[in-house]
Amino acid sequence: MDNEISDLKNYKLSFDGKGGTFFGIVLVNWLLTIVTLGFYHPWAKAKQLKFMYSSTSLDGDRFAFNGTGKEMFKGYIKALAFFVLIFGVFFLLITLEQFYVAAIFFYFALIAIFPLIIHGSYRYRMSRTSWRGIRFGYRGDRNELFSNYFKWIFFSIITLGIYGSWMEMKMRKYIIGNVRAGDVEFNYTGKGLEYFLIGLKGLVLTIITLGIYSFWFYKKLFAYYIENMYLQKNGKVIKFKSTLTAGDTFSLIVVNYLIVLFTLGIGYAWVVTRSMKLIFSKIEMEGDIELDSIQQTEADYNDATGEDMSSFFNIDLVI
Amino acid sequence: MLHTAAIYFDGISSVPQPIELTLDELQGQLVFRTSNAIANKWNIEAITFEHIGNTLEVRQTDNILALIKTENADFISNFLNYLNKSGHLGWYHKFTHLSMRTYLILAAILVGLIIVSYLVIIPWMAEKAVSVIPRSYDSSIGQKYYEQFTDENSVDSAKTEALNEFARQLNLNNESDIRFSVVRSSTINAFALPDGHIVVFTGLIDLMKNYDELAGLIGHEVTHVNNRHSMKMLCRDISGSIFVAIVFNNSNGISTLISNNAQRLQSLSYSCRFEQEADEEGTKLMIQNHINPLGMTRLFTRLKSEEKFIVPAFISTHPLTTDRIEAINKLIHQLPHKNIKNPTLEELFIEIKNKS
Repeated sequence: MDNEISDLKNYKLSFDGKGGTFFGIVLVNWLLTIVTLGFYHPWAKAKQLKFMYSSTSLDGDRFAFNGTGKEMFKGYIKALAFFVLIFGVFFLLITLEQFYVAAIFFYFALIAIFPLIIHGSYRYRMSRTSWRGIRFGYRGDRNELFSNYFKWIFFSIITLGIYGSWMEMKMRKYIIGNVRAGDVEFNYTGKGLEYFLIGLKGLVLTIITLGIYSFWFYKKLFAYYIENMYLQKNGKVIKFKSTLTAGDTFSLIVVNYLIVLFTLGIGYAWVVTRSMKLIFSKIEMEGDIELDSIQQTEADYNDATGEDMSSFFNIDLVI
Repeated sequence: MLHTAAIYFDGISSVPQPIELTLDELQGQLVFRTSNAIANKWNIEAITFEHIGNTLEVRQTDNILALIKTENADFISNFLNYLNKSGHLGWYHKFTHLSMRTYLILAAILVGLIIVSYLVIIPWMAEKAVSVIPRSYDSSIGQKYYEQFTDENSVDSAKTEALNEFARQLNLNNESDIRFSVVRSSTINAFALPDGHIVVFTGLIDLMKNYDELAGLIGHEVTHVNNRHSMKMLCRDISGSIFVAIVFNNSNGISTLISNNAQRLQSLSYSCRFEQEADEEGTKLMIQNHINPLGMTRLFTRLKSEEKFIVPAFISTHPLTTDRIEAINKLIHQLPHKNIKNPTLEELFIEIKNKS
């Protein structure tokens, strides 16, 4: 037993991206996106992701985003074609005066598209993420996620949204549980009931305290997401712990808002980098996985359609 | 030849392999040996690199996973120098490594250009674009709105008929048809639709004491129709929104807040200009028809005294009624005018007020 405890190591996550560098990237992206009437967007996104990933390091080694603007542009075109198709069918049904069919089709498409986007963007994003030359991967099954998603949505509707907490936890469990970094597996153990109670308590206290409790609420939510995640490899694990305080969430929400407001948006780049720096410095990792022993296992995947669709909806990935 | 100690990850496992890295400037290659003594040569043409913080990471473009990493500052600056001299440093890298001062200047220029486009160029283009849009489009929009409006409100047909007769007595310089409707409502208001429909509420008519005041209102509203103000406003709002959406692409809630308010302010100041234009040309129409132009200011003075209770919609976009009255008075003094009493209009005015 003693032996096992002494084997525990700490791993250091950090973010060292400079606001000035990021500002340069955002500025160039912004300029080129305007000049190209939006068509530069995939390249802009690739550059931005490259910066964010390579500014993040684990035990001194940086992450890398290996996607290219070209790949993401192809995905962008496919995503665009897909939306044109959906709207085309919708307007065709409208002109045929099939209003109910059109409405049902539209809502179905809107609900159905989310699991597809989530699946597609995780497969692409993880396949394009690497650390020390080891590729990440997402092994979720599209049809399984799709049918689960419809089941969860159905339960959420008949319980008037209460099931939403369970849905969110089950979704996280499914997605995170299918992420790999080489032969290291990700896992998530959050429970719907616990999550629901945190949310309920948070909501009630936030209202009673006229919003002041919200900083503690966000702190608890963050801790719940982080501390229920763990990594596993051949019986060895790495656990996560959050040391984020209510003061930190205040700084993240209120100070960031004020910076953006008083710099008329120019401070956005610094807001992003200071937030990342703060968040990563508040995540502790402890365990016994040997980081030098990870093997390459995950396959390549270069279809960025889901990733691009996600930017139409402004969806952010949880990892 | 430049040498440095570096770490190599082979893209098969996460084991860090210490290597001695050499930059062969003549061959244009990065050369290193791994522990199993295999010599690796990476051509400068086929590499990508990331220089972030004090770390340099080099990868091959056709095998993006394996990487070399070094933190030797001398080697990094010499390596970047070499890439720059041999023309392998892209414009993008140069651009993202400029000084803070340069960025701020560039940002200021860009913001300036955007503001100028937003305030001057885009509105100007949008207004020009209106002349390309056929009048029939104005009609169909106006017609739809009118139908919906009269469904929900009751039109006084006797007053409507008399008001149309009143307007027929005037030369209104109109290119398209203008039709008036009087709607039963205590609201003090009137508005013009793009198809030439002008709706006047009985509340406003009840307030008037003389036919020249009614003529003033007609002149004002007819100018909105003649100059296609609604269409211009619509085009400007749409193009302004599109522009804002492009500029603030992909950003957060705060910039949406800023841009929405900018848009609202912008269209407010714009409608202000239209109101002034309508006052001015409306006054000229009165003079042209030999009606006392002071009717316009008298109408506004009456509206102003009502203002503390209800702000009439057709002047609320420009709350500075006093300024407008002064501007009209000034105009009247500048323009020569001859007022001729018009008994027909007077009779019709009484008819409009009393009939129901």
